[in-house]
Amino acid sequence: MYKLILKMAWKNSFTRPARTLLVITMIAVSMSMMLAIQGLYDGMVKNMVDKNKRSDSGDVSLYAKDYRVEKDIKYIIKDAVKMKEDIEKLEGVEAVVLRVMADGLLSTARKSSFASVYGIDLKAEEEFGEFSGFLKEGEINLDKRGAVIGIELAKTLKVGIGSKLVFSTQDTLGNINSIALKIKAIVQTTNILLDSNAIFVDIALLHKFLGTSPLDATQIAVMGEDKNLVKLLKAKYSNLDVKSFLELQPMIKQMQEMMVIFNSITFFIVMSVVFIGIFGVVYVSILDRIREFGIVLGIGMQYKYIKAQIFLESVIVGLLGYISGALLGAILLVYLRDYGLDLSSFSDALEMWGYEAIITGTIKVSYFTTTFVAILAASVLSVLIPIRKIKKLNPIDVIKAEK
Amino acid sequence: MFNFALKNILFYKGRSITTFILTFVSAMLFVVFVSWQDGSHNSMLENSLKIYTGAIEIYHKDYRDVGGNEYLIRDAKSITDKLLHVKGIEAFTTRYETYGLLSSKEHSGASMIAGIEPDKEKLLSSIAQALREGEFLDETNGNCLYMGSGLVKKLKLHVGDEVSFVGGASDDSFAADIFKVCGTFKTGSFEFDSSASFVNRSYFDELMYAKNMASYITIKVENLDDVDRVNSEIIKILDDENLESLTWKTLMKTMVEAMEVDNIFGYISLSLFLVVIFFVIMIYGFINVSSRIKEFGVLKCIGLSKQNIFLLLFYEIFILSSAAFVIAVPLASYICYYYSINPIVIEGIAEMYKDYGIVSDEIPFNFDMYTISWNIGLIYLLNFLSILYPYMYINSFGPIEASRHV
Repeated sequence: MYKLILKMAWKNSFTRPARTLLVITMIAVSMSMMLAIQGLYDGMVKNMVDKNKRSDSGDVSLYAKDYRVEKDIKYIIKDAVKMKEDIEKLEGVEAVVLRVMADGLLSTARKSSFASVYGIDLKAEEEFGEFSGFLKEGEINLDKRGAVIGIELAKTLKVGIGSKLVFSTQDTLGNINSIALKIKAIVQTTNILLDSNAIFVDIALLHKFLGTSPLDATQIAVMGEDKNLVKLLKAKYSNLDVKSFLELQPMIKQMQEMMVIFNSITFFIVMSVVFIGIFGVVYVSILDRIREFGIVLGIGMQYKYIKAQIFLESVIVGLLGYISGALLGAILLVYLRDYGLDLSSFSDALEMWGYEAIITGTIKVSYFTTTFVAILAASVLSVLIPIRKIKKLNPIDVIKAEK
Repeated sequence: MFNFALKNILFYKGRSITTFILTFVSAMLFVVFVSWQDGSHNSMLENSLKIYTGAIEIYHKDYRDVGGNEYLIRDAKSITDKLLHVKGIEAFTTRYETYGLLSSKEHSGASMIAGIEPDKEKLLSSIAQALREGEFLDETNGNCLYMGSGLVKKLKLHVGDEVSFVGGASDDSFAADIFKVCGTFKTGSFEFDSSASFVNRSYFDELMYAKNMASYITIKVENLDDVDRVNSEIIKILDDENLESLTWKTLMKTMVEAMEVDNIFGYISLSLFLVVIFFVIMIYGFINVSSRIKEFGVLKCIGLSKQNIFLLLFYEIFILSSAAFVIAVPLASYICYYYSINPIVIEGIAEMYKDYGIVSDEIPFNFDMYTISWNIGLIYLLNFLSILYPYMYINSFGPIEASRHV
């Protein structure tokens, strides 16, 4: 019996093909647009999170107490090299780097700007966050007082590869020291602070320049996605300021939360409107066939079979819409993931805000599963009222009634 | 035809109510969203203009692109004399900016130090109003330094403390002095407050060997909408190819671009809602006409032309849309107006997004009738477009075929 009902539902779904195709198109277009927008926005945030972790904090960062407030090299982590070795042995730790940072004045012969000098170990940074992946221009090489500069800072100072710069700051003894540097590479980390303020030099050179011990560091960044890692490090190094990525980046945390809220609201509104669309079509389709339903009830067909048929009709239309939307959405998402949205004509603005000129999207299975559930629910719910109308039918009256 | 359309609207209540509600929702959503988006952007620009950047600034060519002392304005007075004759200028002043290291007893930090004319500066920027402690500069001040609150905090200074300065003078020689902190300010701009400090120009000129020189001349116009006209007049009156006069649109090009990008993403998001609503309105319109095919067939038989059918559908959607707008427009306008004078306050948003140039927790809406008009115009257009497919569908039937349609 149910095989027959399925067959009838399928045929009835296309009794009015234009109407059905319109609903399928509506679901497909709205769903694919929604998936593409979600993928694009999630991709923006994911890209930002990924690059911020790789270029700066990792999943957890350790600082000396008060360092983050005072930004003074006197608040330095003593014996950081030994600590790094200990942390590397912990379960779930993927990579650890040491960094030294100092604020100062970076000058060319013509221009000056505030800058933060970062002492880094290139090899360790490569393992930690694939530092070479941030390269925009030049060659990453910190030998012979070579330096790597953030893209926005390079723009501010109007410098390029080979330009010479002088960085001045206060050393550990309180003296103002200056060091001449040569730009070897320009990087874009999409970390707004690094891109607009940072100049990277070899960590050994910076230790010597600042007068700090080569065993110390201002930051220990740890990469490792183990959820217990933060707790473990906080317990183990209670004398230090241990912060997780999201504690260090409350703005990104807020952006993630806002994205979830935005996506949920969008999802709810779009699905509500889709529901109204399906409901309208199903309702009219039932009104059109009210005599037909009266007749089949009159010749003894049970109400439950009619109900099943209507449910199936709605689900068939919903599913066809879903399949079309999922296909179209998948094509858009793959395109956005592989080629991205090219906003090169706004590159200055995007770089200023820590985004790349080409914004790539991301694909999550959950986009398709949640939409599937929602469309299925919308299809099923949209027939509840029309079904109640059929339940109240008196077959004789309906057959007698004029169409 | 109009009365006929009105009767149809009243007869097919389900379709009418759905179209009315969806049009109302899309109009409200569109107008309020655009107002919020434009308002927050305008606020960012206005705050930036209020703090320090002028509506128009005059530079020596290449000062902004190349920089360096050879691109300083050498005879500032001759330019300011000419500016006195330009209509539409409210105030102007010269600034001499340099970068140097400021040191307290234990701490040092880089700073942008600007020599300013205190009395004129009060008319042009909000740095005087941003006073937190001590006092703003006046024309009699000597070695007084007016510092950003972030910078003061970083150097652990207080009003009355001494601070040493080392930098480069206009002739490329070293310049050094001991200043006294006379006042501190907080504009809300994180970067500005943690890096800028100001000195009375007459004193600073002696130190920097910069008499009658300027990094640039900044200008406030009487009406910001006239900025292009005033700028054209300035360029004409200056008549010097070594000088460039730039409006805020160029000076803040990156910020303007950033807002355009933000607008793009906003409109992408909004288009999703509008497209879905458009489809549903079209579907309901289509369902409606497909259930009236027989009626249209009879009407065609008695002489109703294609043009009349189009007019009928047009009147139906026009009446329904207009009815929705009659409620949506005043309501949305009131919301926009209310929040333009009573901005939404989101505590902590300025702190959170300080790196993005957000200086205030207030998010004002933009109340602009022109914007509201084009928003409504677009929804009208979408609704009119939604009748095209139903119209084509009806016309695919001949009069006899339609009148026999079941």
